[in-house]
Amino acid sequence: MERRARGSDRLIWAWTIFVILVVYAPIAGGFLASLGKSRYFRFPVAQYSFEWWQRAIDSLEIAQLFRTSLKMAALVTLVAVVVAFFGALAYARYDWTGRRLYQKLVLLPIFFPQPVMGLALLLWFNALGVTLSWQSAVFAHLVWIVPVVTLVMAIQMYGFDPALEEAAYDLGASRGQVLREVTLPILWPGIWSGALFAFLLSWGNFPLSLYTTGPDTAVPEWLYAKMVAGYTPMVPALGSMATIAAAAVLVVAGLLLRLRRRRAEP
Amino acid sequence: MPAGRGPILSLSRLTKRFGPATAVDAIDLEVRDGEFLTIVGPSGCGKTTLLRMLAGLEQPSDGEIVLRGRAINDLPPNRRPTCLVFQSLALFPHRTVGENIAFPLKVKGMPPAAREARARELMRLMRLPEHHFARNVLRCSGGERQRVALARAFAYDPEILFFDEPLSALDYKLKKTLEKELKDIHKESGKTFIYITHSLEEAMVMSDRIAVMNAGRIVQVGTPEEIYTRPVNRFVAEFMGEVNVLPARRGAGGLYASDEVPGAFRVAGGAAETGFIVVRPEFLRLVESREAADNVIEAQLYNSYSLGSRQQYRVRAGDKSLVLEQSRATGRAPALDTRVLVGWDSRDGLFVEG
Amino acid sequence: MVVSGSAIEDTARRRERHRLLSVGARCAIPVYLLLATGFLAPLVAIIGFSFATPRGYDAFRTFTLANYATIFDPANTVWTSFARSLVLAGLTVAILAVLAYPIAYGLARVFGRWSGLVSLLFVFPLFVSENIRLYGWVLFFIKGGVLDGTLNALGLPGGPDLLFTPAATLFGMVYVYLPFMLFPMTLGLSMVPNDLIEAGRDMGASRLQIWREIELPLAMPGILIGMLLTFVLAVGAVAESKVLGGQSIIVITHDIEIAFTYAQNWPLGSALAVLLMLVVGVLTFAGIAGLDLDRILGRR
Repeated sequence: MERRARGSDRLIWAWTIFVILVVYAPIAGGFLASLGKSRYFRFPVAQYSFEWWQRAIDSLEIAQLFRTSLKMAALVTLVAVVVAFFGALAYARYDWTGRRLYQKLVLLPIFFPQPVMGLALLLWFNALGVTLSWQSAVFAHLVWIVPVVTLVMAIQMYGFDPALEEAAYDLGASRGQVLREVTLPILWPGIWSGALFAFLLSWGNFPLSLYTTGPDTAVPEWLYAKMVAGYTPMVPALGSMATIAAAAVLVVAGLLLRLRRRRAEP
Repeated sequence: MPAGRGPILSLSRLTKRFGPATAVDAIDLEVRDGEFLTIVGPSGCGKTTLLRMLAGLEQPSDGEIVLRGRAINDLPPNRRPTCLVFQSLALFPHRTVGENIAFPLKVKGMPPAAREARARELMRLMRLPEHHFARNVLRCSGGERQRVALARAFAYDPEILFFDEPLSALDYKLKKTLEKELKDIHKESGKTFIYITHSLEEAMVMSDRIAVMNAGRIVQVGTPEEIYTRPVNRFVAEFMGEVNVLPARRGAGGLYASDEVPGAFRVAGGAAETGFIVVRPEFLRLVESREAADNVIEAQLYNSYSLGSRQQYRVRAGDKSLVLEQSRATGRAPALDTRVLVGWDSRDGLFVEG
Repeated sequence: MVVSGSAIEDTARRRERHRLLSVGARCAIPVYLLLATGFLAPLVAIIGFSFATPRGYDAFRTFTLANYATIFDPANTVWTSFARSLVLAGLTVAILAVLAYPIAYGLARVFGRWSGLVSLLFVFPLFVSENIRLYGWVLFFIKGGVLDGTLNALGLPGGPDLLFTPAATLFGMVYVYLPFMLFPMTLGLSMVPNDLIEAGRDMGASRLQIWREIELPLAMPGILIGMLLTFVLAVGAVAESKVLGGQSIIVITHDIEIAFTYAQNWPLGSALAVLLMLVVGVLTFAGIAGLDLDRILGRR
């Protein structure tokens, strides 16, 4: 396609890069703040040290936080992938009466402010007499995350050619074989992306966790409490660690996906 | 045509309705064992739906499908001894050529070594290059993909193969090559092929018999020759190629008169009061006098085209435009805008219904 | 020849098939169950509580409009938080519409093979909880923070006192909700076929004209969805006002939270929440009712 005047393209690139820098500035700033030796934050940092990182890694309390967040993210991923897989099939793969309404209803939790959702669930759990714990938070996460993952998977499924399943069936495969040999392998990238989204969105979720974990605490909640009172450089240290963990998961998952794709095309 | 073999497939009153619309309307058809039958018709006539019912991918609303004396309406596709080659070919994009071909063998439980041997054998049969065995199907050319799809169907070893317009997306030269190969493979394998297409040329070249379909019903079944020279109605006549159509009424003395062209004509066939006289362009000729043919009319020559091996003339008689075709060898090249006499023999002017 | 027996069998089989739900409907059941118990039920509970006696817990057993009266009583200032949320959300949408458009344009038309990476860079912050990111800004703007410290080090007077103001809250919201404006916009712009733009150019239209007559109208569905999504999420936002705004401005969600927790006044909190839900619900319904999601999500 012909490129129009280079000038405007350059402006667009410049603006985008500027915004990207602004977006990542606080994350970088937080990283720097975690490296300060003193207890209080002063910029430029007087003395650099990983002392607070070490303290965070050694802390039992923080290890417990990590375990809680990890437990939640893992369970959310497991349930979300299964529920959303079928949800995505209903969204994009099969035609049925009421599908159009369904497509819109699934969007509703996405078009809803999370803190209000969290508060509503808090009220609901209390009204039902459900004890709050990390499990109730998992449920809260699912309400928001399952629609998102459903969309992610549905987008992939739209490109799925139903003739492939019919052909497999026609060639003698049983329904189970069709699923195993044709449907799942082809839909796998979508499932993988969906699982990744589920994990990362749960890992980094703050508003829902805040209101529904009760006595349990996930990483974002603890950070918030400390931000309000009791700041130490452990806060940005932990924040940076959580961010790096998320980035690591993303990179590894992306590499695995590319590896699989390259294997499938000799 | 294979002689003395009974029907392999019988359809009785086969119907498919989608809500208020009827896609396939009470079709009766017998398919002979080992023949190459092509079902032709315009888009939307229901031929794909019919094929899908035969393959088991659609449930009939009414009627029966009987294969070798056994009703197979309720048999799912994976238990029918039939195989469908899809229009999009439906090759598995995440698998290699060899894996695609071996798929029916794999789901049947054949061990890997035997599968590979058979797959390679089929590749040789379909003239696929040996080294493509481990190549991903997405990297193959259009023609190669057709052959892979065919090889995969043969791996299933069905009694009947269905083809849903597989050549429609190919360019002319490739299409011609594959048409010939398909015909050869049909003859060598002895299997029954049921092919659907909207392209008349494909049908004429490859088929033992043709079934013309329109608006969910089968209008005529016969050899290409039969359908071409003795169409049962106007639709079939027009579908089978360019043809001159004159609406006509029976008049006095067994002659027919048309509103569009003056004169009384002798026709072949014809029993009804009203209908159409259909004459193929190659049976109209320029004549010197009114005695040179059974039916002669006066016309004005207004256009002349060279179609390579044939010459086409367009004449106008009254308000009616007619098309003549003759081979270039005949030589006569009258000047444009002259009055000419156009004639045809009565046996070439068929009288049919609408 | 049709044997009547098989015809009868056919009809019976067909009737049976209609009794069971189709495959698609059955696949939708888990999602529907989740949404019914986790989304619909809590919201219904809230509606019920909004009509309960103030400070009481007798939802669905009493019916009173006292809570709504409290909200709309001009003597109270409870409704001001609602108004503030609406204004903040509106400003956020307006600002982001302008800021995000060039980026969306770039993603749809300019970045080519870099689009994937750029998208990833803008998606990633969603996986980092917003309080971490907002706190990074606190460290930036606080006394002795990145801005202040850098200016001091350069010999300039200290940075302005930007934190804990309504402006800071707005800044935080623009920062957090950028992806929610950006991605629907990008989707909208990517749905403008290239040939139309080239045809416009071919017919002599200037770039401004092409933008106004062709691109903007065709991308409008995506742009509107971006604006809708950003607005309904921003109107219920609370982290920005707490972390960056330091409660210089109280937003509606904060008032709801206070009512649910400290004040233990569930009915009042619920009534406030219902108001918010009305705004969100009406806007969302208006926005997505006419959407053809197959065309938007399925176009590849």
